[in-house]
Amino acid sequence: MDATVLMDNLWVIIGTILVFFMLGGFILLEAGSTRMKNAGHIAGKTIFTAGIGALVFWAVGYGFIYGEGNAFIGLSNFFYGDASTVEEGLAPAVDFMFQMMFALVSLTIAFGGFAERAKLSAYVIFAILFSAFVYPVVAHWIWGGGWLGEHGKQDFAGSTVVHLTGAMAALAATMILKPRIGKYNKDGSANNIAGHNQVFTALGVLVLWVGWFGFNAGSTFGVADAFFGFVALNTQLAAGAGAVAAMFIAWVVTGKADIPTTLNGALAGLVAITASCGFVEPWAAVVIGLVGGLMVFYSMKLFDKAKIDDPIFALSVHGTVGVWGTLSNGLFAVPALSTDIDWGQAGLFYGGGFTQLGVQAMGVAASGVYAFVVSYIILKVMNAVMGGIRVTEEEEIIGLDLSEHGSYGYPESMPKHKEKAGV
Amino acid sequence: MVIVNHSDNDEFEAYINCYLEMRQWRDKHIHKVWENPIALNQFHDMLIKTTVQKAIEKVESELGPAPAHFAFFIMGSGGRSEQSIWSDQDHGIIFAGNEGFKSYFLRMGEEISNGLSVVGYELCDGKVMSSNPKWCNSVASWEQQISNWLNEASWESLRYFSTFFDSRVLIGEDGFLLRLKERAFNHLRKDPYLYIRLFENIRHMKKGLGILGQFLPDSFGKETRCINMKEVIFFPYINSLRLLSLKEGIFTPSTLARFQQLPNRYNTIKKYQVDFEKLLHLRLYFKKHSKSYEDVHLLNVDYLAKSEKQELKQIMKHGYRLFNETKHIINKGCSS
Repeated sequence: MDATVLMDNLWVIIGTILVFFMLGGFILLEAGSTRMKNAGHIAGKTIFTAGIGALVFWAVGYGFIYGEGNAFIGLSNFFYGDASTVEEGLAPAVDFMFQMMFALVSLTIAFGGFAERAKLSAYVIFAILFSAFVYPVVAHWIWGGGWLGEHGKQDFAGSTVVHLTGAMAALAATMILKPRIGKYNKDGSANNIAGHNQVFTALGVLVLWVGWFGFNAGSTFGVADAFFGFVALNTQLAAGAGAVAAMFIAWVVTGKADIPTTLNGALAGLVAITASCGFVEPWAAVVIGLVGGLMVFYSMKLFDKAKIDDPIFALSVHGTVGVWGTLSNGLFAVPALSTDIDWGQAGLFYGGGFTQLGVQAMGVAASGVYAFVVSYIILKVMNAVMGGIRVTEEEEIIGLDLSEHGSYGYPESMPKHKEKAGV
Repeated sequence: MVIVNHSDNDEFEAYINCYLEMRQWRDKHIHKVWENPIALNQFHDMLIKTTVQKAIEKVESELGPAPAHFAFFIMGSGGRSEQSIWSDQDHGIIFAGNEGFKSYFLRMGEEISNGLSVVGYELCDGKVMSSNPKWCNSVASWEQQISNWLNEASWESLRYFSTFFDSRVLIGEDGFLLRLKERAFNHLRKDPYLYIRLFENIRHMKKGLGILGQFLPDSFGKETRCINMKEVIFFPYINSLRLLSLKEGIFTPSTLARFQQLPNRYNTIKKYQVDFEKLLHLRLYFKKHSKSYEDVHLLNVDYLAKSEKQELKQIMKHGYRLFNETKHIINKGCSS
């Protein structure tokens, strides 16, 4: 194997590991953003759902995305096991592993909508169905040679495929599960159910930020011209801009530089730049991140007002900003990184007209609607068949750590709950 | 309501009925004064005074007459004559003689607290009530306690002192309280650095206006879209005038009277009096129909007319200016 090809493969496997490590970021982020009584559950479910997601992706997910098929879905390469090597490009297993990590991240985002009230069994069933029928279809449309890819939709690392898809599933879950006990008052006002550990949340964001270099820069699929450095630069700038913008807008509007908003701003910057990190100039990355940071603040408020309880802000960070990230590509993509290298069109601000913006908008709409509708149907059916996907009121009150797993994540800090004697 | 140490149930019933009657009388008549801050506070004074007198009678019937002269004084918004429709309790007792009488006056404080609670004045969360040994002392103990607060000059002790200073006697010997305040003035004059410490004690203020001039209401819970008038709008005025009164040796607790009694060289400060007067009226105008003490400070900014918003913002801005000017005066005049 040629040294450059070997380095390409090595780079992508490093990216794979970085993306997988993002799940560690999600564990800290979600645990920190939720209450102590659910911390063990939130952390632990990320591990076993990653296991389920990996098996399903191996069995059918990869095949649905990249298999030979039609514009809607791939239909081969199930139970993937190609051990062959290559003379150029990526080894099949390297590519497979990298793609799998994206599916796992999308699944983890979707579970943001389940937080603090879904049954463990709902996680298990939905992990299987989402990994088989939701994520792979959208990924096939855009990355697997499906109809949106043929239209020229540009999504460098997955603003739509990974983030929006996950967020739309989270939205469906949130709507079906309904708000957590105590989130809304009788007069309709929302309560702030604060997470139990902002340090965990901040550390989670930092881990995600680091992992995002694998996500975006790894999506160069090689080391040629060291283009990954440019992608990493755009990623870093957007994240920084997102954090600054979110903290600033929170301070201006509420008078307090709210920490969770600031942290979500950094993530918003990362989500926003994901589609465009290989298409835009650094100044545009800053603008994209800034807008993402501002949007996430207002989006969080909007969902609260609409009585959609989004405990870890997955809908705002990955959904609202995922849409913006995808559309921003149609505004800021430069010819040198699109038209000139035969990879889509330049954006509106670079003489590309509305063509690319239109393609991006169509991609967002189609992918978003598909992910939401299919997830909603799946969850509705699950709700009916499983006798509800939400834990009982008592289970929610005592916490999912105890009700679903038998022990608290913080046993010494929790009140003792005596089991009721049977009658 | 639980009143402890009762042997005579009939007597207990009689007093409870008496307090309840006062409560009913309050509810029936308060609308006559609820648009006028001065009349409303006279109404509160009368109601509190009558309640306290009933409580004193009750204790005397149980334990005999008071063993020494005493003063029952009120603090907080009551002390400043700035109560709204609803108010909580902040009061204390100063008695002559020795500490041996304390148990008698604590029992009196307990009966007063219970009575006021029935009549409609919520128990104080911070327990600033004459049923609490900290706020029920002999003259000598009070002198010692105030000296200790000022000598310690910690955040907590100075907060106690500030609370104590907004006080006036409602029943009993006026001279006891004046004597304590005089001692405090002397202490402060000898150590002007304490003015700076007292300013530090009130320096934190909840922001009410953003940098774009917009209201900054609460975002969550039952207080969503509300600003807390007491903390956000009143405090800059009240705290500034208290501090300047301490500096100038002004005894009166009322913020308006303090404005008036400031020497003429404080003309830049005195011009804010009109804002404070407006604020007192506006609060009653907005909150006269409040149903509880919890609600009486909360103002939902969404329900205000445009002109009301502008007027309130103007008062808030002037309050912040007053506070900054006070800060300047204290820093300039009291730095060691």
